[in-house]
Amino acid sequence: MAQRPIWPARVGWGLLAPTLCILIITGLLPFLYVLYISFFDWNVFAAQGVPLFVGENNYRRLVFDDDFLGALWRTVQFTFWTVTIELVLGFILAQSLVKNFVGRGIFRTIHTLPLMVAPIVVGAIWRLLTIPGFGPIPHYLQQWFGVDYNIGRIATHAFWTTVLMDIWHWTPFVTLTFLGAFSSLPREPFEQAQVDGASTLQIHFYLTIPMTMPIILTTLFIRIMDALRTVDEVWMLTGGGPGSATRYIGIHIWRVVFPKTDYGYGAAMSLLVLYFTIVLCWLLFIVMTGKFKQIQ
Amino acid sequence: MAAPTPTPVTAPTPTATPAPKQPPAAADFWGRAAAEAGLRGTTIRGITESIPPSKYAASVLAKEFEQATGIKVELETTSWDQMYDKSIKDMEAGTGIYDFVYIEQDIIYAYLSRNFLTNLTALLKEKPKLAAPDFRIDAFTSFINYFKDPKTGDLYGVPMEAFIKCYVYRKDLFEDPKIKEAYQKQYGQPLTPPTTVPDQYRRVAEFFTKWGKDNKIELYGTTVQAASGHPASFYEFVETILPSFGVYNWGINMETWKASVANGGQLNGARAKEALTFWLDMLKYAPPEAPSSTWDEVAASSAAGRAAQGWIYGENVVWIATDSSRSKVVGKVGVGLPPTYPGVLEEARAGKGYIGYYDGGAFGIPRTAKNKEAALLWLQYIGQPSVQPKWAAAAGRVVHTATFDDPLVREMDAKTGGYFTLMKTYGNLFAGAPPFPFHAQAREIVAPFIYKAIAGELKPGDALDQAAAALDKELPRLGYGR
Repeated sequence: MAQRPIWPARVGWGLLAPTLCILIITGLLPFLYVLYISFFDWNVFAAQGVPLFVGENNYRRLVFDDDFLGALWRTVQFTFWTVTIELVLGFILAQSLVKNFVGRGIFRTIHTLPLMVAPIVVGAIWRLLTIPGFGPIPHYLQQWFGVDYNIGRIATHAFWTTVLMDIWHWTPFVTLTFLGAFSSLPREPFEQAQVDGASTLQIHFYLTIPMTMPIILTTLFIRIMDALRTVDEVWMLTGGGPGSATRYIGIHIWRVVFPKTDYGYGAAMSLLVLYFTIVLCWLLFIVMTGKFKQIQ
Repeated sequence: MAAPTPTPVTAPTPTATPAPKQPPAAADFWGRAAAEAGLRGTTIRGITESIPPSKYAASVLAKEFEQATGIKVELETTSWDQMYDKSIKDMEAGTGIYDFVYIEQDIIYAYLSRNFLTNLTALLKEKPKLAAPDFRIDAFTSFINYFKDPKTGDLYGVPMEAFIKCYVYRKDLFEDPKIKEAYQKQYGQPLTPPTTVPDQYRRVAEFFTKWGKDNKIELYGTTVQAASGHPASFYEFVETILPSFGVYNWGINMETWKASVANGGQLNGARAKEALTFWLDMLKYAPPEAPSSTWDEVAASSAAGRAAQGWIYGENVVWIATDSSRSKVVGKVGVGLPPTYPGVLEEARAGKGYIGYYDGGAFGIPRTAKNKEAALLWLQYIGQPSVQPKWAAAAGRVVHTATFDDPLVREMDAKTGGYFTLMKTYGNLFAGAPPFPFHAQAREIVAPFIYKAIAGELKPGDALDQAAAALDKELPRLGYGR
C-alpha cells in the first residue's frame, strides 16, 4: 500500500505561493517584458516616437555590431583576469588564515574591509588614488620609478587598474568563502595523508581541492557572473575610457539604454549577455566536474 | 558639390526693449496666492544638475520660498547624467515623481518633440490668481526664447541660469614682466591673450608649459576638457572648438540632418579635422589630468592655478575668480572671447555663425507633475527680479537684462576680470545648442569616436570620417533625414 504523504501537496504549494508570487513579479515578469521589448525598435526620441515591431532584427544587428562584440570580448578578458587572480589569491590567503598566528584577527578584519564598501565608493576611492595630476599613485610612480602612469590617456593602464580595483574589492569575498570551507573540513584525512608522507602540494591537489570543489565552483560562478556585469566601479573610475579601453558590456548596455534611449536594442543586448553568461557557466560546470568527458 | 552654408541658431542677447511698467507687486502675494489655492503645506519635488546655480536655488531660494508660501521644495541636485536619466524616465513613464525638472538648453527641443512639458503660458492664463505681479517675461534676456515653442511662442521653461563658455587666463602670468620678456625673446612678439587659433593659441600654450617645466612649477599651457569616456569631451569639441574654427551646429546640415561632407554636412570637412587635430594637440600642453577631466575637473585645475589659459564655463568663472576657500587664483583671473579662426568673428558679427557656447537651463513642469500649481508659483519665484542679483553674484548666471547693471553684479564683474561685461557686450556672438530633437542620440553616436581619438585609437581625420558616416547611417534609422 502506497504511503500517504505527511502533508498534502496543496499545503506545500500554499506555503510556497508567497515566494513564487514574489519571484514571478520581480523576476519573471520583468524578464518577459525585456524579451518583448527586444523585438521592437523603440527609441523615445525617434521621429516616430513609438515602438516599431522589428522581429529578430535587433538580434541580427548585434551579431555584426563591432562595438557590442568589442565590449563583450573586453569583458571576457576582464573576467578571466580578475576571477583567476581572485581565486588564486583568495585560496592562498584562506590557507594562511586557517592557521593561528599573531594579529590574525586584525589582518582578517582589515582584509575584509573592502567588502563592506559600496562599488560606487570603491570607484571613487580608486579615482582619487589614480587621477593623474592629483592622485598619489601616479605621483609616486613618476617620482620613484619614472613611470608615466595615466589612466585617462593610456588604455593598458586603465584596463589593468580596473582589474586591480576589482581584485582589491572582491578577493576578500573569495577568501572568506574558502576560509569557511577549509574550516569545515574533517581533520582525519589530512592527518592520515601526513602520516602517509604526502607533501603539502599533494595534500592540496588530492585532498583540499577535491573536498572543497562544490564551494570553489559556487564561488567561481558567483564571481564570473559579478565580473561579467561590472558597471559601477569602472563607471566611476574611467567612465569606460580612455577610448573604449574599459567600456565593458555593462557600461556599453547602460549607454545604449539610458543616454541613447535605444530601449529595444538595449533589451536585445541584455538578453544576449544573459544567455552568454548562462552558457559560459554551464560549460565551465561541465568541464570542471568532469562531465564533459562522460558526454564525449 | 559645395556644402550649403549652415544655419546658426539665434544667439541670445540681452533684450534691449525697456520693460513696461507693471503694477506694484503686493508684498504678501506669495503667501496669499498659496493660501487661496490651498497649497500651503504642499511639498514639491524637483531634480537638477549639481551646479553652482542649482545649489544656490536649493540652499537659499527654496528656503525663502517655503517661508513665503508654506510650500516645501525638495530639490535633488545630482550628476548631469543622473539628472537626465531620472527626469526622462519619470516623464516617459508618466510616474509624476517630479513636479519640476531642470531643462538644459540643448535638450528642450527633444522634450518639446515628445510633449513632455507643461505649457506655462497656458497654465498662467488658466490660473490668473497664481500669476505673480513681479514675474515678467520681458525682463529676461532673449535666452528665454530657447524655452518657447517656436511655433506658438508659448513658454515651457523659466530660465534659472545662463552663461557663456569663455576664454579664461591667468592675468598675473600674462602681466609678469619676466614672463613677458621671455616670451618676446622666444617668439619676437609681445605676450597677449591669444585671439586666434590655431597658431597663436598653440604658441602661448607651448610657452607656458615649457616655462612651468623650466621653473619647476606645476603650470601647463592650457586646459582641455578631454575626459575620454565622458560626454564632456564631446561637448567641448562640438560646442567650443568647432565653432571657433567656423564649423557650426556640430557640423550637421540643419536642412538634411546629414553630417558628412559627401551628404552636405561639415563634420568630416577639412576645417573640422583641423579643429580636432588642434584640440588633441593641446593635450601636450595640458595638465596630466586633462584626459580625465570633465567640466568640473577643468574648473578645479584652473582654480588650482595649474593652467595658464583655457576654456571655462561661466558658472565656474565666478568662484574661480573670487572664492579663496576653493581657488588659488583669486584676483588673478582675466576673461576674454574664445580665440577664433580668422574670419569666424566677422561671421558671428554678421549673424552667420557664432564663436562659442551660450549655455544655460530652465526649470519646467513635466506634463505628468502632480503639483503643477505649486510648481508654477516656485518657477515664478525664481524668475522674479528681486532674487536675481545675489544669485548672479553667487553663481555667475544672468537671465534678466537688468541684472547686469545691479551694483552687486558690477562689483563682482570687477573681481572676475569683467566676466559679466563680456557676457553682456558679446553674448550675441555666442549660441546655444542647435535645435536637434535627437540631441542625446547624436551625441551618443559621435562621442565614442571622439573618445577613441583622445585615446589615440583613431587619427583625428579617421575619427571624424567614421563619426560622420555613423551619424548619416543612424539618424535615418531614428526617422531623421531619410
